[in-house]
Amino acid sequence: MQVSPPRTLLELFTGFLSIGARSFGGVMPWAHRVMVEERRWMTPEDFTETIGLCQFLPGPNVGNASIVLGKRWFGIAGSLVAFLGLFALPFVWVLTLFAFYADFAATSPMLRAVVTGVGAAGAGMFIGTAIKLGKPIARNPYVLALIAACFVAVAIVRISLAVVLPVGLGIALLLARRGRL
Amino acid sequence: MTLLEVALYFCVLSIFSVGGLPSVMPEMQRYVVEVKGWMSPAEFMQAFAVGQAAPGPNMLVTSLVGYHVAGLTGALVALAAMCGPAAVLAWWVSDLWDRFKDSPWRKAIQRAIAPIVVGMILAGGVILATPDATPDWRLWSIAAATAIGILVTKVNPLWYLAAGGVLGAILL
Repeated sequence: MQVSPPRTLLELFTGFLSIGARSFGGVMPWAHRVMVEERRWMTPEDFTETIGLCQFLPGPNVGNASIVLGKRWFGIAGSLVAFLGLFALPFVWVLTLFAFYADFAATSPMLRAVVTGVGAAGAGMFIGTAIKLGKPIARNPYVLALIAACFVAVAIVRISLAVVLPVGLGIALLLARRGRL
Repeated sequence: MTLLEVALYFCVLSIFSVGGLPSVMPEMQRYVVEVKGWMSPAEFMQAFAVGQAAPGPNMLVTSLVGYHVAGLTGALVALAAMCGPAAVLAWWVSDLWDRFKDSPWRKAIQRAIAPIVVGMILAGGVILATPDATPDWRLWSIAAATAIGILVTKVNPLWYLAAGGVLGAILL
């Protein structure tokens, strides 16, 4: 496949702008569509590799991808431009929606019920995603125990992430180095 | 003063947000709702719902917490704080990661992180489906139906959010 990276910062900006503008229901599918299929900035393999790194790093996936790719193509200016392009429109939209919502919610129990329902569905998306990600690795009893321990510590005992993450990761790294994960 | 607190807290949370918003959601809820009382559990859940329904990275929920606390400035500060440290790390690590492509440590890290992230995401879902102290079977049913839906079909997730809204209007 013939690929050519963006030639100007403007091109980079409009590319990420169009990802952000259309990304209802998840950013990643749109990032793939724009960068691999529409604009042919990169190969599908390159895309998967980059997203893989970004999933492992803290922060929003595609937000990180905008930093990494912007840097690759234009240095620090590219990182800034790509990141701003990605977030500009969604930021305006989410605030507008929230401001409208705050105005109407007080007077409309119906609207509150709808938004609460959307929230519950969103919670279900988290649960479904966790099961999807967990399924291929959960045959291993150590993995299952780590998932369960993490879940109980965070959701039921409500221990701070600042404790759970380093402790959990430390144990997991030890197990991984001994070939148990 | 609160704004400074928001900025500092989200800067720290940013570094912990491996796996994105889902994995830090439980911690954010704990701090914003239970420790600081900036939002009620229901307000937090609704900000999350608005954030999910709008396009864009779901990290934008943090800007809604900031907006609730300190208006437009709060929104900008919260989002910058939540994305800044992680972005600097991504900028810095991307070359390093390529260089250690075949290192056993890189592989160990990848394997170690997966179960932790799964546990956090699962916790995030359960906490969001339980905004009050007592579990509400109606919210649980909507969440369970959505979870099953995204597991067995490939429909755009937006349809499940829409269905959740309709069910909310009928049931709640």
